[in-house]
Amino acid sequence: MRRLLRISAALSLVALALMVWSVLVPTPMPVMLAMSLGQLLGTSSFAMFGLAVLVDLRRSRRIRRDSMQLPSLKEVLLPPERIEPAEPAEPPR
Amino acid sequence: MPHDPFAWAALAGAALSVPILIWYLVARPPLVRTTKLALLLGIGVFPILTAGSGNIAGYEATKTRRFCGSCHVMTPYAQDSEDLESTSLAARHSRNDAFGKENCYACHADYGMFGTITTKIGGLRHVYEYTFNFRQLSVAEALPRIHLLEPFTNDRCTRCHSTTVPGWRAVGDHASLVEELGRDAVSCLGNGCHGPAHPFSKPHLDEGEIEEVTR
Repeated sequence: MRRLLRISAALSLVALALMVWSVLVPTPMPVMLAMSLGQLLGTSSFAMFGLAVLVDLRRSRRIRRDSMQLPSLKEVLLPPERIEPAEPAEPPR
Repeated sequence: MPHDPFAWAALAGAALSVPILIWYLVARPPLVRTTKLALLLGIGVFPILTAGSGNIAGYEATKTRRFCGSCHVMTPYAQDSEDLESTSLAARHSRNDAFGKENCYACHADYGMFGTITTKIGGLRHVYEYTFNFRQLSVAEALPRIHLLEPFTNDRCTRCHSTTVPGWRAVGDHASLVEELGRDAVSCLGNGCHGPAHPFSKPHLDEGEIEEVTR
């Protein structure tokens, strides 16, 4: 997930650079690059971020679910209660 | 520096986002709640602000004469528009506050519901033509070859110049040609009427003539 976020951040930087270039130098090449490649990179970056969030959410849910299934501390530390054997039933007279 | 508020919003979004992204890439902080929130702003909120307002600023920039004149073969057209001594139709329109710095777009944009889209598609054709046919040419070589792909229709003039006001109808040529002008049988920009729009304007060419000129 960290790698995904790093790639996402790097793509964001490139997309932002293209956008800023088109704003500062509004000539055909920068404007077209910003509106095509810049948008593509920016959208990909945001999609990667969304994916990372999704992966993080699923992992945290799994951890929470697993922790609910674990035995409690009391169950682990205390010896199991001794179960008295049931008395044999009296034979019918 | 840009004067468009959307351009400033785009720059502000980028200025806020870039430090966050560089901090994340360089410092590699642990993924705690603060880092996640910072990344939401750095990758999500601020870049979306930049992309949205940057697109509007970019679109507005494509309407300016500076944008059109940035291809070297358009330099004479832009210079004529900016020339205060010029009496060409383009120059006179550039001195009109309603068009001003957007006088190229004001007259050459398509009219109608999807006019903006068809204009922008036409603009891509201009980029193609410039890149593959005109980029290597000098201005002197290019000027005789530059031509309109389609005839200049009168509705681009009549969207501003109404043909119904008494002052317009009072002109004899207007009154006698009103039907022909509506059918584009006669052009407003014809020689002897209000044309040529630019000192270098040429009559509309057919497909065959265009191929011959651009060969």
